[in-house]
Amino acid sequence: MAVTVSIPTILRTHTGGEKSVSAAGTTLAEVIDDLENNHGGLKARLVKEGALHRFVNVYVNDEDVRFAGGLEAAVKDGDNVTILPAVAGG
Amino acid sequence: MARYDSLLDALGGTPLVGLPRLSPSENVRIWAKLEDRNPTGSIKDRPALAMIEAAERDGVLRPGATILEPTSGNTGISLAMAAKLKGYGLVCVMPENTSTERRQLLQAYGARIVFSPAAGGSNQAVATAKELAKQNPDWIMLYQYGNPANADAHFRGTGPEILKDLPEITHFVAGLGTTGTLVGVGRFLREAKPDVQIIAAEPRYGELVYGLRNLDEGFVPELYDESVLTGRYSVGSYDALRRTRQLLETEGIFAGISTGAILHAALAVAQKAEVAGKAADIVFVVADAGWKYLSTGAYAGTLDEAAARLDGHLWA
Repeated sequence: MAVTVSIPTILRTHTGGEKSVSAAGTTLAEVIDDLENNHGGLKARLVKEGALHRFVNVYVNDEDVRFAGGLEAAVKDGDNVTILPAVAGG
Repeated sequence: MARYDSLLDALGGTPLVGLPRLSPSENVRIWAKLEDRNPTGSIKDRPALAMIEAAERDGVLRPGATILEPTSGNTGISLAMAAKLKGYGLVCVMPENTSTERRQLLQAYGARIVFSPAAGGSNQAVATAKELAKQNPDWIMLYQYGNPANADAHFRGTGPEILKDLPEITHFVAGLGTTGTLVGVGRFLREAKPDVQIIAAEPRYGELVYGLRNLDEGFVPELYDESVLTGRYSVGSYDALRRTRQLLETEGIFAGISTGAILHAALAVAQKAEVAGKAADIVFVVADAGWKYLSTGAYAGTLDEAAARLDGHLWA
């Protein structure tokens, strides 16, 4: 079960500068654990006290995971996972 | 009635129009709320006027005062018009990567613009405005991201207008910036229709805009109330442009780029309803018209070219 994960500029220090990396898992939590195995330090940037960091948004195929189960959101083979810092509009 | 005592009185009461060509079927219908039909041509006229009037009522805003606001454009233009008519000064803090038309309109209305760096987008504009507020304690920052009058304008205006025109509404889709539209309309509709779906469409910009120094510089508007929403989509510039052009070509509506992003989410929701065999009446917001984005080349050339030109721009 491989997914493609887009990494924002601010977190690329953990991926050796790679903009997107591959990871495995059936839920977002598993994907983040797999990311941590290959790119140490990422998990602590994304997850605080068992939930997504307040200023981090994660999307599976462009849908915000906070409305699809959060860390338990299901992912399937070929999905695109996008990580972005929260920014203002208006 | 189509006669008003002044331009400010002509706010709201915008048309809701059906989109027979873009709607998937007779059971799943899409409706556009034409917010470009407001005094300065965007939905931001509603919160801007509401915030000014609330500050006047509270005695915070007195004749001759200077208003300060961080804005990527439309709120600034709305405030500039109202400030001009009411005799206030206006200082807008705007990211430098916004369209030239926005600057020209602000300047035409007599607003002063303080540019904030492109990197960091509106987050940086908010930070710069907060600094300026400290340095100029007599300036009044209305602060659209945390001012309850912003969401309240939609709770009292936009929401009731939609429900009156379309009592059978099942979904409301709008852009997520200050979150005022979604939170205000969402709360109103939820009271009347507990099962209504409230869907956010959030612009996904080029990397420059997310170029923060650290994650703790991230920003969630104080007005944001996640419990009002039922879904949230992130829409990139390519899809936003594609839908903006599709809206023009199929239904004749000349909208701005953020509206394309909102339509993209509305069509995703419509497709889900269609596949599930459920009837749906989906309202989405046309936040503004396309005039202010012509210089970005959004409507010319291939989609790839147009998307490349928008990279690094704040288009919503």
